[in-house]
Amino acid sequence: MHDPKNKFRIPMGPQHPALKEPEGFSVALKGEKILGVEIRLGYNHRGIEKACEQRSYVQDVYLIERICGICSHTHSTCFVQAVEEIAGLIVPERAQYIRTIIGELERIHSHLLWLGVAGHEIGFDTLLMYSWRDREIVMDILAQVTGNRVNYGMNTIGGVRRDISKDQAADVLKAMDLLEERTKYYIEIATQETTIIKRLKGVGVLSHEDALRLDAVGPTGRASGVRRDVRADDPYAAYGKLNFDVITSNHNDVYGRTLVRVKELMESYKMIRQALKDIPDGPITVKAPRNIPAGEALSRYEAPRGEDVHYVLANGTDKPERVKVRAPTLANVQAVKHMLRDRFLADMPIVIAAIDPCFSCTDRMVSLNEEDHSHLLRWDELRAYSIKWHRDNMSIDFSGLNKKLMDRIK
Amino acid sequence: MKKVEALRDELVKNFSFLDGKIGIPRPRRVFVEVGQDKFEEVFVWAKDKQDFSHLCTITGLDENDRLILIYHLAHDSGVLLNIRTSVPKSDPRIKSIIKYFPGAEIYERELEDLFGAKVEGLPEGNRYPLTDEWPKDEHPLLKDWKPKSA
Amino acid sequence: MGVIKKIVNWGRIKSPWVLHFNTGACNACDIEIIASLTPRYDLERFGVVLKGTPRHADILLCSGPVTRQMEERLKKIYAQMAEPKFVVAVGTCSCSGGVFKGCYNVKEGIDKVIPVSAYIPGCPASPKAIIDGVVKLLHSLEEEESK
Repeated sequence: MHDPKNKFRIPMGPQHPALKEPEGFSVALKGEKILGVEIRLGYNHRGIEKACEQRSYVQDVYLIERICGICSHTHSTCFVQAVEEIAGLIVPERAQYIRTIIGELERIHSHLLWLGVAGHEIGFDTLLMYSWRDREIVMDILAQVTGNRVNYGMNTIGGVRRDISKDQAADVLKAMDLLEERTKYYIEIATQETTIIKRLKGVGVLSHEDALRLDAVGPTGRASGVRRDVRADDPYAAYGKLNFDVITSNHNDVYGRTLVRVKELMESYKMIRQALKDIPDGPITVKAPRNIPAGEALSRYEAPRGEDVHYVLANGTDKPERVKVRAPTLANVQAVKHMLRDRFLADMPIVIAAIDPCFSCTDRMVSLNEEDHSHLLRWDELRAYSIKWHRDNMSIDFSGLNKKLMDRIK
Repeated sequence: MKKVEALRDELVKNFSFLDGKIGIPRPRRVFVEVGQDKFEEVFVWAKDKQDFSHLCTITGLDENDRLILIYHLAHDSGVLLNIRTSVPKSDPRIKSIIKYFPGAEIYERELEDLFGAKVEGLPEGNRYPLTDEWPKDEHPLLKDWKPKSA
Repeated sequence: MGVIKKIVNWGRIKSPWVLHFNTGACNACDIEIIASLTPRYDLERFGVVLKGTPRHADILLCSGPVTRQMEERLKKIYAQMAEPKFVVAVGTCSCSGGVFKGCYNVKEGIDKVIPVSAYIPGCPASPKAIIDGVVKLLHSLEEEESK
């Protein structure tokens, strides 16, 4: 059915009131404009913090690593740092460097992943193929060095579990060179292709003042000129010894968030090279006690999405009293609600994607609520609507760019 | 560059009751304990007068008959001020800080769901992170809460 | 790649259309599923096509241990698929709860909620394992069909 008045499709399929499930996004709509958005989270709430109290610290390292499969090293490092601080352990320098290198490799895979997802959201699908192909270079390196493509199991309390050999280091350096070349092309696309610029500029605006007021973190905050990066402000692992730039932008929009991420990739390549050059010889772990003495610590880590925070309270036993995790995306919820207010519904997919939410966040149902009726859309229907809207209303079409990139892949 | 010792001195100077209640376990980390009656005063002072402009999160803790709340504030220099306060579990009312940090809304909802905190001043909204069907009087992160089998 | 030989029989089976659904996972398996569709692994070359709606899907590729919030949607999606339909549990936590066994907000596996046809373990399941698992499922269906 097609109502020419409001152009939305009536939801498909029967709605069983008995099988009610919470929509991820509830949009108050007037015509094509968003009045406000309610975001329902908790779809991947598993009860991890409670489980941590019932497991030993070592078991918790493996559990916490799986809070998020994109930034697993982030969470595991942030956690062990807190435990090590409470236990008064001095982690060997070599281990700190290895943690840093894995951390930056993780940032690279995450940002390349994001680039593909962003491309998919706006109809630039070849970017997904292209960037994820490059991402495979990093996945190979991670698998080679850590033994797994994801959930690397690199950390233990007191250090790391695996060393990086000279051969592996040489392979990492080769990969950095290759990726740097490829990333230069992404920067070229982002800064020179008018279709991209037109599509992303002025979208999802978050002024500098609002970014501060709403406490945005990570590339989202940095793209609005908020110069905060835990690696520089509150250094951990080996970051205190590395030279790098905190990338910010004054675009205050999705375009800015894109630029920040591709430029951060370049910084990551530099940091990994530095770290591999400066990494000292020595042990990769110190022995950790089974029982962690009573104490507390607040640990922070700059995940690819932004600041990750872990609080650990130890009680002298082999199990923590309390583990609290605040992942970065949660901190950007208010900011993203603000970015959508008074904007076109068609902006929604890329605006949400641009804060780099949990991947499945965009798998959620969207409820559109006007004064007198509601519609339920799947995310892919919203995406299709958005791509069509931009084609019809702003003449934005990615078929040319798709073909251009396709030819390059061959 | 904020120095933690200087911060401690400022805290004591402005709030004499905090003397002896301030811990500095390592560089860039300050822990302070405040009663509920003085909490907002200290909190606002830290934000407005000492530029702790970023709220990392709020941690809830179950300690016997009290519900502990730790507000983790960060300064751009990397210093973290962790303000610990508490309320009795029998009357776990706290005032919302969303007027200072709008982003705190989701952290406060989490305290309500998982610890049974009653946050005064929160607008209408979805609970987080539990489902609507989850019983309103069951708070999983309380120490005496055990999951029912299946 | 040895898998290609196994796939030769496939051509005879109607290209399976696949719906991917995350029941509250950490995303690692989801990304490996998508990665298996990118050029290096290229699941699509074997006829597998990702679909957005349950109505057109033959196979439901599920990740995650099923959190409470996702349970009803999982049931609904399964109900909306037309027969014959098959469910593949991708990743250890969707097989058995994995590392989340004992966590209060999970059902501990897809088969606690809907019937599962194939289990692909791994934390996460690698793209190769995913392809291998889907191929095995289709093979077993082919054998069923020829009986």
